[in-house]
Amino acid sequence: MLEYTRVRGIPGLRSASGLNQRFIPGSGSFFKMGSTPRRRLIALLLLLAVGFLVLLARLFDVQIEQHSKYTKLAQGNILRIIPLPPLRGAIMDRNGVVLVGNSTNFVVSMIPDEVIDKRKTFSILGQDLAVPPSVLEEAFDRMRDVLPNYIPVPLMAHMSTAKVGRVSMDIYRLPGIVIQTIPQRTYIQGPMAAHLLGYVGSLTVGDMKKSYARHLPPGTGIGKTGVEKTFDDILQGEPGESRKLVDSQGSVIRKLSPRYPTQGHSIHLTLDFRLQKAAEDALGDRRGAVVALDPNNGEILALASHPSFDPNLISSALTAKTWNGLLNNPDHPLTDRAIQGLYPPGSVFKVVTTMAGLKAGVIDPAKPFKCNGIIFLGGWAFHDWKKGGHGTLHLRRAIMQSCDIYFYRAGMALGPDKIAEMARNFGLGLKTGIDLPSEMSGTVPDRDWKMKRMHQPWYPGETLPFAIGQGYLTVTPLQMARLMGVVATRGFLSTPHLFLSTEHSVRFQTESIVRKIPVEPTSFSPLREGLWAVVNEPHGTGHPVRMKEMEIAGKTGTAQVISNRIPAGGTAHVKIRPDSWFVGFAPFRNPKIVVSVLVENGGDGGDVAGPVARAVFKEFYQDYLSHPESQPDLAANKKEQRF
Amino acid sequence: MNKIPVSYVLRSYPYFLLDIIGLILAGIVVQMSIDWHLALRQGIWALAGVGIFLILVNIPYKTILKHSLPFYGFLLALLILVKVAGHQSHGARRWIGYGPVMIQPSEFMKLALVLALVWVFGKMDGKEGLSFGKVLLATSMAALPGILIAKQPDLGTAIGLFFCLGVFLFLRGIRSRTFFTALWISVILLPIGWQVVWNHLQGFQKDRIRTFLNPESDPSGLGYHTLQSMVAVGSGGWFGQGLKGATQVRFRFLPGAHTDFAFAVFSEEWGLVGAAALLLANAYILWFGYKTAVLCRESRGFFLAAGLTSLFGISFLVNASMVVGILPVVGIPMPLLSYGGSALLVSMMGLALILNVRTHEET
Repeated sequence: MLEYTRVRGIPGLRSASGLNQRFIPGSGSFFKMGSTPRRRLIALLLLLAVGFLVLLARLFDVQIEQHSKYTKLAQGNILRIIPLPPLRGAIMDRNGVVLVGNSTNFVVSMIPDEVIDKRKTFSILGQDLAVPPSVLEEAFDRMRDVLPNYIPVPLMAHMSTAKVGRVSMDIYRLPGIVIQTIPQRTYIQGPMAAHLLGYVGSLTVGDMKKSYARHLPPGTGIGKTGVEKTFDDILQGEPGESRKLVDSQGSVIRKLSPRYPTQGHSIHLTLDFRLQKAAEDALGDRRGAVVALDPNNGEILALASHPSFDPNLISSALTAKTWNGLLNNPDHPLTDRAIQGLYPPGSVFKVVTTMAGLKAGVIDPAKPFKCNGIIFLGGWAFHDWKKGGHGTLHLRRAIMQSCDIYFYRAGMALGPDKIAEMARNFGLGLKTGIDLPSEMSGTVPDRDWKMKRMHQPWYPGETLPFAIGQGYLTVTPLQMARLMGVVATRGFLSTPHLFLSTEHSVRFQTESIVRKIPVEPTSFSPLREGLWAVVNEPHGTGHPVRMKEMEIAGKTGTAQVISNRIPAGGTAHVKIRPDSWFVGFAPFRNPKIVVSVLVENGGDGGDVAGPVARAVFKEFYQDYLSHPESQPDLAANKKEQRF
Repeated sequence: MNKIPVSYVLRSYPYFLLDIIGLILAGIVVQMSIDWHLALRQGIWALAGVGIFLILVNIPYKTILKHSLPFYGFLLALLILVKVAGHQSHGARRWIGYGPVMIQPSEFMKLALVLALVWVFGKMDGKEGLSFGKVLLATSMAALPGILIAKQPDLGTAIGLFFCLGVFLFLRGIRSRTFFTALWISVILLPIGWQVVWNHLQGFQKDRIRTFLNPESDPSGLGYHTLQSMVAVGSGGWFGQGLKGATQVRFRFLPGAHTDFAFAVFSEEWGLVGAAALLLANAYILWFGYKTAVLCRESRGFFLAAGLTSLFGISFLVNASMVVGILPVVGIPMPLLSYGGSALLVSMMGLALILNVRTHEET
């Protein structure tokens, strides 16, 4: 009867109590806790009740907690979304010359879901396109597995209009074949300005992490280098999509209205295509770089690097062979020498030594100096580039003829730290902040740097090459243009940039573009006088640059190279021809342009880099200054002979 | 045992009857949302079911139980006939019949087995536990049709038969010695037995078990049924997508929507509220059935009501668990809701017998 009281709670049991004994299996049963069938039935009921509760909890979890997840999956079942890529914005120079645009690429594609007879389709298409059907079949098989069956698989791109016409005529017997027009990025000027423009490539997983690129469809072109990369968010545009409602067989039930893509914004660069062309033409086949910029605001007018490459080849049908060819080319055509090439500046650096000397008082422009072509330090002899020396000279002629001994002496008096400080004032050793990716900063050595990098103290003998722009010092051609801009503006360091405006709005530069450096404006005069003489005096090293129409000032450099830029089969540390530099500005009295030219292993600065710079200056003069009315104050300035 | 007027029975248990009618109608609505042909056929079967229901309620269950063994034997013969000359559909040979009237003997076998097991266990003789001979007899009675059905192949129904056996053994009570002997023999034979069973499973059955053990192994392939079922259930939300909005069903993403996954369809169309109501309706049937068993003053009535109710409840739970991804996909239809004339008839006959026990024992 104990069992009976325990299950008293079950309704109706009371009335059956008298019958309990009638089917008691007894205490020998294995299931002690439910020693009668009735009580075991209640255990079973409880078990099922637990099952019901678990089921209810699961239903709540699936239907309520995970509702949105499953709703999305349900929509994914019925919605076929085909992305429509946006048209990328164009890139133009400051005068509206289109540098990068889009052309139409006719692609014949096959929608696997809609093809009826694949073999027949390939054979008809093969005839129309004048290719063996196997070629089309291979193209199809290559892409087949990576795409869903309702996305068109491209079979052949870049079709001629004649072929498009032939396929269109046959389209009625080619179910599942579509002709798509896909925008193709076109670099109208080919290899010209290729480095700064950059190129587009296919969207990668890494790119999709960027906030604006998150919803771009895979395969969309995205800027990989240059302006294409920096301003990708402006150029890109918004993709659209066409949406269809389908059933489980893939048959279209209804087409929903598509969301059309939004075209990307076009941008104007500060670049002047005429100057860019002049620079590249003047550089010719030689390896090197040319930078032209407006020192007053940092606008880049030309930015050339040679050898170059054709971005069209990379952006459209890039093959592994082409790409490896570019990567393994010993001349490194993919490197933008203007912002990534690191070179010793050679004598152009004497600009910095002069200013450091003037500031510290170790150079007195009025004091004569005797150069006999050699100087001794710690038992080592340091020679001037000119055997026998320059004789007695002042600062003006020391700059004009690039006297090494004069600046060795100044450097010894200054020590490395003061030269380095002034170099950094001029923006060396730092990134210029140009709106291009992967800029290099170069090296400005001093005592701390050497201790950190080489765990050695600075040797006095190292100050001398430093003072004339050799040794550990490395710079980019862009940094040198910026440096000369400081001289041209008497103390204003600009941030070089390529971005001018978009079609609709100007992007505001939040940082100040031009920064005053801690040097007295008047103290530039003796230096400027020397730089004027370099070009305009008959014995100046930069005399080949001289123009009658416009006064140019500047500095040559012939930098000794001990480098690992070794010709094939050579050994390490081969002394090869020096790098050739000319960095100058014009018009002298009211500077509007700075030009920096570097020719790798070119030889003498004035003779090799000079004419390249002159070509750019000349183009600038013709485009901007040849009409007197556009420069009314030019004549007025001429009277005032002040440096 | 006096005959009881049907009208009295119907008036006495209106909620039980309304519950059954409601579930059958819910099933017909589910079929209608898939294809009105299905709904029409299910409706005709349901009408036939009502007729049989009324007849079965009217005959005292003790009279019916006298025919347990012939009924069992008849169905065993039918199963063999199916094996020899059954109709094939979707790779399975399960049906027998002529023209539009096709029956599935395996479904009826569930009912026959319950009746047969009542015959074996129903008479309480006052002895402790079950004799080994009875256990052996009961096991072979389940195993014989079980193997035939598993070979059709219809693993779900075969498993259902063994569930029945298990319920009866549990309720009747096994002697400790019998239980442990059986346990040890099973433990020793399990690896061999598993090999034998595994080797006799059909390819798709093996795949289903593999997929269930490791669902990530093939999310797009074999897990497809479960995934689409859960998508259907999950997109139901609180109040469901309605008959028009249920895209999983309308656009045929849910395989077996009208049979094994009818509950998924119902959940997509009516949401958690509908699914919970369905649970409640089924829970009431279980409550009613078990209460009938407990109230019954006679052992065969007890076992009959308990066995039938357990069969109903286990089928419901297994099917629903499969739909929401708790259990692997085995072909056990949901009672009253899933499409299928035989299954509907069997469910209704079972419920009629429960009501029969209730009325004939209470008066």
